[in-house]
Amino acid sequence: MINVQDIRDTARDLLAKGEVRAVIGYRRGSRGMLAEPAFITSPEQADELVWDPTCFHNLSLYLVHDRKFLDHIRKNPGAPVAIIAKGCDARSIVVLLQEHYFKREDVYIIGVSCEGTGVLDERKLAPHLNGAQASNAAFDGDDFVFTTAEGEKRLQAREVMADRCLECRIPFPKEHNAVFGEDKAGRQMEAPFAALTRFEEQGSGERWDFWSHHFDRCIRCFACRSVCPMCYCDECVVDSITFPVTTETTAEDKANRVRWIERSAVRSENITYLMTRAMHLAGRCTDCGECERACPVNVPIRLLNNKMEREAREQFGFEPGASIGGPSLVASFLDSDPGDFIR
Amino acid sequence: MSEQQVYEPRVVAFLCKWCSSAGSDLAGVSRIQYPANATPITVPCTGAISPMYIMSAFNKGADGVLVSGCHIGDCHYIEGNYLARRKMQLIMELLEFIGVEPNRFRMSWVSAAEGAKFAQVITDFVNDLKPLGPQEKLKKAEHS
Amino acid sequence: MSKKRTGVFVCHCGTNIAATVDVAKVAKEMAGEDTVAFTKEYVYMCSEPGQESVVQAIKDNKLDSVVVTCCSPNLHEKTFRDNATRAGINNFTCEIANIREQCSWVHNDKAKGTEKAIKISRSVVRRVNRNQPLDAIAVNVTRRAMVIGGGVAGIQAALDIANAGVEVVLVEKQATIGGRMLQLSETFPTLDCSQCVLSPKMVEVKRHPKIKLMTYSEVQELTGSVGNFQVKALKKPTFVDPDKCKLCDECTAVCPVVVPNEYELNLTARRAIYIPYAQAIPASFTLDESVCLGLNPIVCGKCKDVCEADAINYDMRPETVTEDVGAIVVATGFDLYGQENMGELGGGKIEDVLDGLQFERLCSASGATKGHILRPSDHTEPKNVVFIQCVGSRDPAKHCAYCSKICCMYTAKHAQLYKHHVPDGRAYVFYIDIRSGGKGYEEFVQRTMEDNDTLYLRGRVSRLYRHNGKVRVLGTDTLSGQNVEIDADMVVLALAMVPSKGTTEIAKVLKIGRDKDGFLAEAHPKLKPVESVTAGIYLAGAAQAPKDIPETVAQAGAAAAKVIALLSQATLSRPPLIARVRRSHCTGCGMCVDACPFIAIRLENGKAVVNEALCEGCGSCSATCLRAAIDVKNVTQLQIYEMIEACLAV
Repeated sequence: MINVQDIRDTARDLLAKGEVRAVIGYRRGSRGMLAEPAFITSPEQADELVWDPTCFHNLSLYLVHDRKFLDHIRKNPGAPVAIIAKGCDARSIVVLLQEHYFKREDVYIIGVSCEGTGVLDERKLAPHLNGAQASNAAFDGDDFVFTTAEGEKRLQAREVMADRCLECRIPFPKEHNAVFGEDKAGRQMEAPFAALTRFEEQGSGERWDFWSHHFDRCIRCFACRSVCPMCYCDECVVDSITFPVTTETTAEDKANRVRWIERSAVRSENITYLMTRAMHLAGRCTDCGECERACPVNVPIRLLNNKMEREAREQFGFEPGASIGGPSLVASFLDSDPGDFIR
Repeated sequence: MSEQQVYEPRVVAFLCKWCSSAGSDLAGVSRIQYPANATPITVPCTGAISPMYIMSAFNKGADGVLVSGCHIGDCHYIEGNYLARRKMQLIMELLEFIGVEPNRFRMSWVSAAEGAKFAQVITDFVNDLKPLGPQEKLKKAEHS
Repeated sequence: MSKKRTGVFVCHCGTNIAATVDVAKVAKEMAGEDTVAFTKEYVYMCSEPGQESVVQAIKDNKLDSVVVTCCSPNLHEKTFRDNATRAGINNFTCEIANIREQCSWVHNDKAKGTEKAIKISRSVVRRVNRNQPLDAIAVNVTRRAMVIGGGVAGIQAALDIANAGVEVVLVEKQATIGGRMLQLSETFPTLDCSQCVLSPKMVEVKRHPKIKLMTYSEVQELTGSVGNFQVKALKKPTFVDPDKCKLCDECTAVCPVVVPNEYELNLTARRAIYIPYAQAIPASFTLDESVCLGLNPIVCGKCKDVCEADAINYDMRPETVTEDVGAIVVATGFDLYGQENMGELGGGKIEDVLDGLQFERLCSASGATKGHILRPSDHTEPKNVVFIQCVGSRDPAKHCAYCSKICCMYTAKHAQLYKHHVPDGRAYVFYIDIRSGGKGYEEFVQRTMEDNDTLYLRGRVSRLYRHNGKVRVLGTDTLSGQNVEIDADMVVLALAMVPSKGTTEIAKVLKIGRDKDGFLAEAHPKLKPVESVTAGIYLAGAAQAPKDIPETVAQAGAAAAKVIALLSQATLSRPPLIARVRRSHCTGCGMCVDACPFIAIRLENGKAVVNEALCEGCGSCSATCLRAAIDVKNVTQLQIYEMIEACLAV
């Protein structure tokens, strides 16, 4: 059981001693019970930090997305940035380190183990509250406790936990500078990839019916891309509107842009977008689930990423975010990679 | 079936320059006949084939996509086909996963000496594609 | 960027293309392409007037790029690129659309063939539209060559190259050079002694100041490219210092280990310490580590004790040597198709059934029987000997489909040698056809038949088995239509020639192609018979195809000439089709660095940088990069995208 005061003390201490220049963590948000990302730069702010079942954001996003902040860090090397990271978040930091996005000494990882209770899926909670709004959420053993106007609502964590947490194999942030909570690996509530396995039991036709339905619904708002710490490209290959023009951009670069897909949100283009995204996340996605959470039309994006994760694991023995020094999935190979599918 | 017009699938065949393209040349020199449905695009190596090419070909209406290169151990660039093997398996699994017929994507190893095999690979692929009819799932809708 | 002015030149190739592709329609369709300023068809575009017309059209129409729709780029890409240079435009703006091998030759239906030819041509036109003018990259040449394989082919190639003043490293797997030819007794059609011809050349190799001889060594790894290869070779320990060894033979007398002698095709035995031949080069004994009791004075150490020259050193260790060379000749030779594969002829289990090389050793004065033909089972002189040709050859159903080419001749030689050794003996030859093309060859066979009284029987042998101390041969004489039954004292099988085990291995190491039968593949069956598909690597001898000694020597000379020509240039030009980084898109993730097979990419200040000297242009980086931040010049992702579009345009 994690005592939030320990996290606050650590953050305060690091800031006070100047060992880190900022702490990225969670604080109470302005919308009901939900936590929101917090950027803390002074020791006094440390008490704002919270740790509860609504801390579902993958904060490593902020290590790649705030360009001004990153630019500032690059120009003013100094103390690292501390970041609170769950198991999956810490693994995504490892992937970023693997891809040389920043150096290990630039980041101070305050690991927080999910201890097998994971975090909340808001969409699962709603039916349990019968329309009421919760103002607070807290961990309590294997339960989540919600405070509503009608009083306290205690629910077994597994009933309202995010799907990915039910199947999580590695809830403990192995890569860390400091860590809180126990390593309760192996305490998954469901077999790894259980939802994926259930889905794959269907025939090809049923799978297509399912996906074509969802591909039709995607509005290409790119929320999944915006919320993903791995989608840090300046220009997305399948959406060249973000084409970066820098002092190094040549006329040839401009001329050689490929418009792989059109911008219209129609099925064929949505498929190419989502499939490309899944391919690009293969071996990099650590299943933090943010894409699916952010999707306003509930496209089951995680399922695609999960599929790639399982293939990587089962066919190539590859675990995303396992080691900083190891090569990327698609930039490496083994002699033993399967080749039975090749004629 | 025999009454119906048999569908002629449109195939894009990505061939590596050193083995499969040379193998297709040998099929030519040997005058081995095979269906004309596949249009070859020669690339330096299967390792140079981005999964985007596969997606793009389907997006543009290919009924089938073939990737063919050197046998393992024979890559002119030593490791390109190993890298391709992994990438192509991932894209293949993903296509199958969303319900695209498995027979629409194919990978083969055809060496420069395997002219007959090249012809057979194309023949088999086209024969497997014919009953599937036009590929509509990933194809960009025609603008009217 | 102003619009390209591309010329499209459609070749009829006589009727080779025009018969199944409507060439006029291809030209007409290409004329409709936005960037095409000129089209022309012609009956033979590669002919002198054809090429001239291309040059003229480029000049007259101010073309800046060219597409020739014709045969495979392997044949005439260079022709037309050189042609573009002559016309004053950059040669890398010229591309070939292959509508012959990949189209007209493989499709009978003219409508479909034409449609496909249009798609191929259009895709290449679109590609050319984005081709950039590029200049070849000049690289320095390492003026040094390697010859792999120390048989007659390798020896000849090494001597020819060295005599031109170029240093040669000759690598041989066995303890001596000489190869298969050293195992032969006499050679056809002159019956001169094989060793007498070869030994002086071996000595010349040993003494040549420009030849570095590495025996008992194996090539393990190749990096680099034409002009600048790095070859890693493993020098196995012989445990005998060749400079000290006095060839006194005392060591073999005391060595307690007896194993079959592979140099005598297992007809005799040798010791763990041995010399393959008395005339071996280098002239030194070799201690076979795999059978020695343990290189340990406590276990045995007899040879070391007895060696007065103190030449034996148990502490020798394998040594890896890296040699920088500009060109390589591969001459790794042949093996015989194993008798064990010939189940119908006893599968190698019947006594006194020998293969051709074993018979050579029986005839050889240096062989186990000192040149007396004695059958192995009881060391008596065989009075009836059956020679069987085409064993394993010309049998696509069960064995090798090809003709091994030399067996007709060496069988005739064997029959003659036998008759010379055993004048009262009877020689029978089973054959399918007699193939005796070659200077003096047919006369030689006739002499075997007529002057040497050898009975040639046209037909196959169906079965061999031991019967009353002899080998019963059941066969057919198809000319008389009768079954034949011969009780032979000895049977000699003219087994097919197959690529040697070393040939198979070296093809993998050097990444050079093999043909359907496993022989090393030449770059072009007619025009590049000694070149492998990899520039700078040449082929000689039976590793490329079955051939006799004169042909082998000729090919070795040809390969040597190619090497000398290549290395006589001060610099070589490398194709500039290499990777280029779009720096504004590169995030420095390093995936391309990991993917590159040539270690040609490094990260510098957070961006990928390509080493132009090392990049081979394979494109593995491009397909791996998630940001399309790296592309191969003139094969960019945009170009492939537009080619895909062209292939699928209705």
